[in-house]
Amino acid sequence: MRKFNHSSDLEGFRQELLEERKDITSTIIIPNGTCCQAANSLAVIKAILQEIARQGVDKNVQVHLTGCHGFCEQEPMILFEPGNIIYCRVTPEDAREIVGRTVKGSEVIERLLYTDPVSGKTARTEAEIPFYQAQDRQLLQHNKWVDPRSIKDYIAIGGYRALVKTLDSISPKTVVEEVRSSGLRGRGGGGFSTGRKWAEARSAPSDEKYVICNADEGDPGAYMDRCLLESNPHLIIEGMMIGAWAVGAQKGYIYVRNEYPLAVQHARLAVKQARDIGLLGENILGSSFSFDVEVARGGGAFVCGESTALMTSLEGKVGEPRPKDIHTVKEGLWNRPSVLNNVETWANIPSIIMNGSGWFASKGTKGSKGTKIFALTGQVKNTGLVEISMGTTLHDIVFNIGGGQKNGKAIKAVQTGGPSGGCLPLSKFDLPVDFDSLYEAGSMMGSGGMVVMDEGTCMVDVAKYFLKFLQDESCGKCVPCRIGVDRMLEIVTDITEGRGTREQITLLEELSETVAETSLCGLGKTAPNPVLSTMRYFADEYFAHVDEKRCPAGVCKALISYDILDEKCNGCGVCLRACPHGAIKGEKKKVHAIEPQLCLKCGICITECKFDAIAVG
Amino acid sequence: MIQTVTLTIDGVPVKAAKGASVLDAALEVGICIPHLCHVPFLQDTGACRICIVENVKNGSSRVTTSCTLTVQEGMNIQTNSEKIRKLRRNLAELLVAQAPNSKAIQDIAVRCGVKEVRYPFRNENCVQCGRCVRYCTEMWKANALGFVGRGKNRRVEFPFATRPDFCKNCGSCTLYCPMSITPCGGPMKRGEEHLCGKCESQAVTAPNIIGACTRCELGKGFSCTRHML
Ligand SMILES: Cc1cc2nc3c(=O)[nH]c(=O)nc-3n(C[C@H](O)[C@H](O)[C@H](O)COP(=O)(O)O)c2cc1C
Ligand code: SF4
Ligand code: SF4
Ligand code: FES
Repeated sequence: MRKFNHSSDLEGFRQELLEERKDITSTIIIPNGTCCQAANSLAVIKAILQEIARQGVDKNVQVHLTGCHGFCEQEPMILFEPGNIIYCRVTPEDAREIVGRTVKGSEVIERLLYTDPVSGKTARTEAEIPFYQAQDRQLLQHNKWVDPRSIKDYIAIGGYRALVKTLDSISPKTVVEEVRSSGLRGRGGGGFSTGRKWAEARSAPSDEKYVICNADEGDPGAYMDRCLLESNPHLIIEGMMIGAWAVGAQKGYIYVRNEYPLAVQHARLAVKQARDIGLLGENILGSSFSFDVEVARGGGAFVCGESTALMTSLEGKVGEPRPKDIHTVKEGLWNRPSVLNNVETWANIPSIIMNGSGWFASKGTKGSKGTKIFALTGQVKNTGLVEISMGTTLHDIVFNIGGGQKNGKAIKAVQTGGPSGGCLPLSKFDLPVDFDSLYEAGSMMGSGGMVVMDEGTCMVDVAKYFLKFLQDESCGKCVPCRIGVDRMLEIVTDITEGRGTREQITLLEELSETVAETSLCGLGKTAPNPVLSTMRYFADEYFAHVDEKRCPAGVCKALISYDILDEKCNGCGVCLRACPHGAIKGEKKKVHAIEPQLCLKCGICITECKFDAIAVG
Repeated sequence: MIQTVTLTIDGVPVKAAKGASVLDAALEVGICIPHLCHVPFLQDTGACRICIVENVKNGSSRVTTSCTLTVQEGMNIQTNSEKIRKLRRNLAELLVAQAPNSKAIQDIAVRCGVKEVRYPFRNENCVQCGRCVRYCTEMWKANALGFVGRGKNRRVEFPFATRPDFCKNCGSCTLYCPMSITPCGGPMKRGEEHLCGKCESQAVTAPNIIGACTRCELGKGFSCTRHML
């Protein structure tokens, strides 16, 4: 490909691309991200391509492989444009019919359409699906039109125009001002004002500065950053370039965890493509601006997402945090001023430049502007990536987008913010989701994990889960986190196993404060949040465990027992055969019984019994 | 000439060399801030967190470790506030529950006002202060010791767990290790660990007076900076 030497070259190239593509009559879009591949999208793609070759279709029909569109649960999906027709949970066996009837015959195959589990209605188009309707997909919308391996696709939809605009007509100082007045706050968890961070880095005296993209994403259950980087890597690179121009950096790093092979691969390819056409390198588009990006792989330690640990790791040392009495914007990577931003933060930059800070600030709440992507998981009908305007209520997300409860058990809480966040009860569901209101309620925006929990979830057990995660992921350098979190886990384990006392609950509270106040880095400082928020909103569950030795949700094994209800058991013997531990005794057609000494409380019998005759107590 | 800055520590104006840490500045003038992982002339890592102080700025305060905090003109530091005493006591309690078999740790617990230990004792033999590692790496440039593992499994180790031939056998690691001297009453057996508390009379723990260094005996066990100067 040729190299561009002037900013007008890019616009010329876009026009050529559009001209080249104007005859395309229809596009078959098949998402093929990591999550899609896990749902067998590769086999579907292969089958579709084979069918196309076999049946032969018009040369103006184009097959487009893109990143994930967010509705992960319904994958593999196929979209047809124009028309916006969407097929869900497609199998390779459907390929023949799809190519024959839909591609060649423009006919809609009813059985592949999406059926809304709430209303029971089928939706022909993506726009009719409730999961998408309540969203505001500013960042995710591009995924549909971009093959992450093609810089041409990105340029064709208007990519790198924000960069051209910046280089042509916006001074670095104005860029910083623009980002500051947009009100954009970091999407990586802290919610620090991006404009302020840039301004500090810009004013730091140094001949060498860095911009870094944090794609370490270690929160369990969160994958927004993976999706963005893997589906639209040029968007991130463009954001970083604008940031580099603004603060005066010549070098950028994308720090992405090694467990994201597709993201690494796509980011590397994107960097190479951008270099090849002169968008990265010396004197970009003929300007005085020189900048290059390197993709660095992280080993996947959660703590390496922390800013100082990430930079230490980039320097090639063990990724442990260091004291941050001097901010990394002044002394970061190799002690040079460094701007570290989250993937999603960078992704927001090009549209702020293109549409202006006023446009961005018009979305959201007073203190939190724009949109935010969440990974919605847990006990709701629809799971996947949802992008909403800041200020949307938890209720809207859980019930309108998520479709409400899944297993007939009432929803009781939602966990946001991953291991640093907290659990909010149903009574808080009318809270608008933004940085400040979540923080005030005792949770956190975090990077965007959102786990919905129902009556079958024990909140003490949830706290234990996160403590275990943090204990494993703590780097171990400082006392409060290494020993403190471990002791917290010890106490919570005691509580879930029936050894808990009231004094321990007090101690847990005091210890939480100590760990939060004295830990070296953000991991330890926020580690007590899951415990504190569950104690605040679900104190009765803690007390039930401690005082009555009872787990209300029936989860904590040491506190529950399984019993067969005499009046419901008809002696079919299914449970007896199903129990792997031989704990169930009984004769055919007679009431069965569980031997408590042998029962390991695995719960298999409950799922097997057709007559609801087994009770947890 | 050495440039100095003036800051306030516990209400007292203190002059300190520019670039010094708050911990050094305090110790220099005889204000005791208990500390464990700090060793003079070695890089501070902020690992033990015992040296925490409150950095008061515009009416709000931030808890931070004084060994990693560089003095600045006009700084206002509280080393002995109620909040700090409580947090420090809790940290020392965690430490002594982890490693009761060390005179240094027992001393620190006393100095920080630990009166009871609310956790089951664990009796480990390293508190991961990193003194040995830093001494070996920075003083002798020998790099014979390092940390391996993460979280609970983090530990001090030779490269590939064998003493390398570039270990100079200087013994500094044991000299600076807070675990090398057992409590006065001898090593505590498993199940018999307790808070020693013998040196209580010598400790400056009265809340109403500033934590002034009295060159107490407590520091000897773990080479408190003042005993080394
Ligand atoms: C333990 C820990 C883990 C973190 N992990 C991530 C992460 O995976 N991704 C991320 O963007 N930020 C993470 N952060 C936040 C970063 O330290 C940093 O604040 C952020 O990358 C700054 O970018 P932003 O201002 O755009 O949010 C983590 C912080 C802590 C304390
Ligand atoms: S708070 Fe935890 S993760 Fe952070 S430095 Fe301390 S031990 Fe390491
Ligand atoms: S061996 Fe001793 S000096 Fe080294 S880290 Fe452990 S306690 Fe500290
Ligand atoms: S002496 Fe400052 S943290 Fe250990």
